Amino acid sequence: MANPLKLYLTCVRNTLEAAMCLQNFPCQEVERHNKPEVELKTSPELLLNPVLICRNEAEKCLIETSINSLRISLKVKQADELENILAKKFLRFLSMRAEAFQVLRRKPVQGYDISFLITNYHCEEMQKQKLIDFIVQFMEDIDKEISELKMSVSTRGRLVATEFLKQFL
Amino acid sequence: MILLQSHSRFLLQTLLNRVQNLEKAIELDHHWVEFDDVRFHVQVSMKNPHILQLSLSLPTPPLETVFVGGLPFGAIEAIKAAYGVTVQILDPPRDGFNLTLKLNLSKLPQDEEHRHTLLVKIASVREVVLGAPLRVILKHLASRTVAPDMNQFVALVHRPNESFFLVPQAEKVTVIFPMRFKDSIDTILATSFLQEFMESRRTAGLSNAPPCLWSQSPPLELKGATDNALSANAGFVTFVIFPRHVEGRKLDRTVWNLSTFHAYVNYHVKCSEGFMHSRMRRRVESLIQALNCAKPDQEKTKKTPHTRSFKRLSLKDSRTNSSS
Repeated sequence: MANPLKLYLTCVRNTLEAAMCLQNFPCQEVERHNKPEVELKTSPELLLNPVLICRNEAEKCLIETSINSLRISLKVKQADELENILAKKFLRFLSMRAEAFQVLRRKPVQGYDISFLITNYHCEEMQKQKLIDFIVQFMEDIDKEISELKMSVSTRGRLVATEFLKQFL
Repeated sequence: MILLQSHSRFLLQTLLNRVQNLEKAIELDHHWVEFDDVRFHVQVSMKNPHILQLSLSLPTPPLETVFVGGLPFGAIEAIKAAYGVTVQILDPPRDGFNLTLKLNLSKLPQDEEHRHTLLVKIASVREVVLGAPLRVILKHLASRTVAPDMNQFVALVHRPNESFFLVPQAEKVTVIFPMRFKDSIDTILATSFLQEFMESRRTAGLSNAPPCLWSQSPPLELKGATDNALSANAGFVTFVIFPRHVEGRKLDRTVWNLSTFHAYVNYHVKCSEGFMHSRMRRRVESLIQALNCAKPDQEKTKKTPHTRSFKRLSLKDSRTNSSS
């Protein structure tokens, strides 16, 4: 179980290392503006080819790069309805606290569950290697958290049911 | 607290308080609401401090439920049987309530223990009133008979405009709960809980518990019920109660547990949501910490928490300083 996930994460890590070479780049159209090009897509020569890393159909990671910004979008595994709800709940919870995370995007890119937006300023402020570590840890943690939440729901359900049925004995 | 308690805690507290200070006359006028829209009202006047008026309002019954004079059938008899002389039923009840009881606190038994049991019993008035029809049917089951003039199935109110169904037979009573939840997340959590009910019934220790079934579609027993009664977004739960589940003192517990089954599941769904939230909050904190590790200046301040306002010079430094 841990091994295939590790391969996926290593692949993401290597791609991020390659992709995360951002530089300051002022807007070409408006004077004294500086905007993340990956969001605006003002001109094609500033964008690089997006990379899509898939573990399987349900789990994928899209890395879009531009000259001064980088966007990472994740799709999290959702095997059944319960996992779907838990993932939605948890990711919404995170998105609402995007301010605290700085690199987190308030809204995910369409078709994905959660997105990060890293600009050259973030790279200047933080160590690149550690930032990549954070993204990878985040991906790991989300999977772990969702499966733990699912487990806690079923454990509680079992306990609740047993206690109730015991009342009739 | 895993199981719901049958007495209203606040009512019990109020009664105990009142009984302890019976000679002190005070004015009391409390309103409160408990789960499933059961409302209470307690009133004591200065003039008669030993008389306490307790009013109870029940959830609005749906069409299919049988209510006699604003109360479920058998409720009046159940109240009389449970409380005896201490309680008087006022007719008509207070405006906006289904039932008003007049408690004469000076008529309570002198014996401490008996008095406490009676007060707890009064505090569980909702169990007595709402559980009355269920109790009647289960009592018939205990004696292995079917009450006369019963329909194929009986609807009993348990939530505002919602009812659950009983199919009384001589050897068993089938209890069917249509499970409805307002929130989509609640629905999914409850569905997974209800599946656990089926699973845990199969474990060794619970083989004597009532058989429990959960299905997405209404069971066959409910053929002929109205569409409104049969719409449930979390499926249907069926318990089959046998005479061994209602013998002797088990009857009380069975009545209470069955009449609050929905509240019980709902309560635990909410609890697990609360638990999830506190977990997620913790997880967010740990993730933010991980992100903060990436900031280089944060690390420096961690290593030297006390920044000194002066520079300490070593002996060597001071010499070079003085010579320059």
